[in-house]
Amino acid sequence: MPTDTAELNQLLRSGGYLPDRGLTTATYLAITLGRPLLLEGEVGVGKTELAKALASVFDRKLIRLQCYEGIDTSQALYEWDYARQMLQIRAFAEHELTEEDTVDSLFGEKYLLERPLLAAIRAGDRCVLLIDEVDRADDEFEAFLLELLSDFQVTIPEIGTIQAESRPIVVLTSNRTRELHDALKRRCLYHWIDYPTADHEEDIVRTRIPDVSDTLTAKVVAAVNRLRHLDLAKPPGVAETLDWVEALQALGAGDLDQSLAIDSLGSVVKDREDLEIVRKRLGDIVEVA
Amino acid sequence: MRSPERTPPRTIVEFCAFLRTFGLSIGTGDVLAFTAASAKLEPGRLSDVYWAGRITLARDLGQIALYDKAFSSFFLGVEDGEEQRAAMTAVRGRDSVITVPAGEEMSEGEEEQPSQLGRAAASVTVNRRKSFADCSEEELAQIRRIIKSLRVAPPVRASRRHRGAPKGHRLDLRRMARKTIQNHGDPPRELAWLRRRPKQRPLVLILDISGSMADYSRNLLQFAYSTRRGAGRVEVFCFGTRLTRITNSLKHRDIDAALALAGKEVVDWAGGTQIGASLDTFVRLYARRGMARGAIVVICSDGLDRGDPAMLDRALDRLGRLCHRIVWMNPMKGDSEEDFATASLGMSVALPHTDLLWSGHNLASLEEFAEALPNIR
Repeated sequence: MPTDTAELNQLLRSGGYLPDRGLTTATYLAITLGRPLLLEGEVGVGKTELAKALASVFDRKLIRLQCYEGIDTSQALYEWDYARQMLQIRAFAEHELTEEDTVDSLFGEKYLLERPLLAAIRAGDRCVLLIDEVDRADDEFEAFLLELLSDFQVTIPEIGTIQAESRPIVVLTSNRTRELHDALKRRCLYHWIDYPTADHEEDIVRTRIPDVSDTLTAKVVAAVNRLRHLDLAKPPGVAETLDWVEALQALGAGDLDQSLAIDSLGSVVKDREDLEIVRKRLGDIVEVA
Repeated sequence: MRSPERTPPRTIVEFCAFLRTFGLSIGTGDVLAFTAASAKLEPGRLSDVYWAGRITLARDLGQIALYDKAFSSFFLGVEDGEEQRAAMTAVRGRDSVITVPAGEEMSEGEEEQPSQLGRAAASVTVNRRKSFADCSEEELAQIRRIIKSLRVAPPVRASRRHRGAPKGHRLDLRRMARKTIQNHGDPPRELAWLRRRPKQRPLVLILDISGSMADYSRNLLQFAYSTRRGAGRVEVFCFGTRLTRITNSLKHRDIDAALALAGKEVVDWAGGTQIGASLDTFVRLYARRGMARGAIVVICSDGLDRGDPAMLDRALDRLGRLCHRIVWMNPMKGDSEEDFATASLGMSVALPHTDLLWSGHNLASLEEFAEALPNIR
C-alpha cells in the first residue's frame, strides 16, 4: 500500500490513470482510512475508470456491481441454487436420510450462488469493489448498502454471519439522477470529479494513446474544450476525447481540420440536436492553423 | 488568519464550528473523520487540510462551494462579507442547505387521518366550480385545506421486483424448494408463481409562477404535497423567465415560503415567460439524467410564451420521448369543451405533444384530476 499521496499518484500513473491532486488525496484517504469513496461528476470523466485502475495497479480482482432500478439482494448479494437443491432433494428422498441432515447439507456453501457483494466480502482486501451508478437503484437498496458498508458483514439465515477478514477498497459512482441519502454519503468520502484542465487532458491522451502526435492531441483537446462550452445536451467527457483521437488516428490523420472533424464527429457528439449545433459552428471549434 | 501549524485538533474543531455557521451539517463523527483524514496527510500543508476537509465534510456540489468560501475565510483570512452572503443565498435557492423551520408543517395526527382517494368530505361550503381567480382569500384558504386532504396516487407500472402470487409469469423456485423439503422430496402439487410487483410512477410538476399563473400553481403545489404523502416520488420545478428546482426547499419550508423564494429567482418581470427555454433547461439538466424516465410530467401554464416557438416544440418533443405521459394543465381552458388551441401560439405548439389536457382552474377540476391520475396509462 502506498505511504503517501505522491506514491499513489505515481502508481496510478503507471497504470495509465492520471488523477489530479484532489482525486489522489481522496483515493489515498479512502484506502488508508478504509472508507468507501463516493465519486460524482459529469459523464465520462473517469469515475468508473478509477476503480479499474486501482484494481490493476494493486493487482486485485475488480468486482463490479452495476446498479439498476429494482435491483435486490438476490441479484446483489447471494441466491440459493434452487434447481440443484431440488435435484438433491430427490436424491436424498431415495436414500431416506433424516430431515436434519438434509436441511443442513442443502443450505451449505455448495448451493450458494455468490453475487458481487458477497464475493467482495469474501475476497476482502484481495479485491476492489465498484458499485456503479448507485443512484439508479431504489432508495431501499441504499439502506441495505449502508448496513453492508459499515460492517462489511452479511447474515445468511441458513449459514450464519460472514464477516470480511479485511476491507476491500470500495468505490461508488453516481450520476446524480437523484439525491442519495445523507446517511450513505456520511459513510463515504466524497469527491466531485471535474473536467480536467487542457494540459492535464493532453497528458491523459498521451498516456492512454502513446503513439499519437502532439499537434493532433493539442488540437483535439482544444476542440473538445470548446465543445464543452457550447451548452450541448450531452457535453463530451474525457472518454469522448480519447475516442475522438483514436478515431482520427484510425483515419490516418496527423492533424485536425474541418473535413476530418465532420467525418469523425460521431465519436464525440452523440445526439442529433447537438450534432446540428456543432456542425453550424464547426469553424469556431476546429481552430484554423 | 490562522496558521496551519496548529491545525490538529483544536483548529479543526473551530473550523468545523465555523463551517456549521455556513449551513453545512457536520456531526461529531464528521469531525473525527476530518481529524483522522488530516492526520494521514501532511498536517502542516494547507492544501492537504483543504482536501481532507472537503473530502470528508462536503457532500455535494453546492456544499463544495460553501466549503470553499468558509475555508478561504477561516484559513486565509479572505473576508468578503458581500460575496459570502451572495454565495449563501445562491445555494439556498438551488439546493436548500439551510433549514428554515417550516410554518405550515402538518402535524402527526393530521398525517395519519384516513382519507379516501379523490373527493374529500365537504364539511365546509365551498363552491367547487368557482374558478380560483374569482375566489376570495378565505375561500382559497378553505380550498387549500380540502386539497391537502386529497389522496393522490400516480399510476403504477410493473417493477423489476417480484412477489409471490397464485398465478404469475415465473416460477417461484425458492418457495418450491422449501415446499419440496417439507414434502420429504416430493415436489409440491401446486406450483408457486412470481408476479412483478407494481410500482408507482414518479410525478414531475413543472409550474408556471409568472403573473396570473401564480395562484393556480400555488394550488397545484398543495396538490403535489398531497401526492408526496401518498408515498410516491414527486419532483417540483417552478419557472417564469428561468427554471428552478424546489423539491428540496419544499422539504424544509412551507409552500408559500418556497414559492416566494422561487419567485425571486425565476421571475424577471421584464423578460416575460420563457416556457420553451425553461422546459429546455429541464430536459437538459434533469430529464436526460433519468428524472423523467417513466414519469408523468404535469406542466401547469397558460401557454403564453415569449420565447421562440421552435424551442418549445423541440423541448416538448424530447421530453415526450423521455417521459411516460405529458399532462398540460391550462386554467384558461376553463370548463369549455371546445378546441381552444388557437388561444395562444404556445398552446398550439404544445398540444400535439400533450397526452392529456386538463383545466385545473377550480377545485372540482383538481379533484377530478386526482381521480383520473391513477388511471393514466
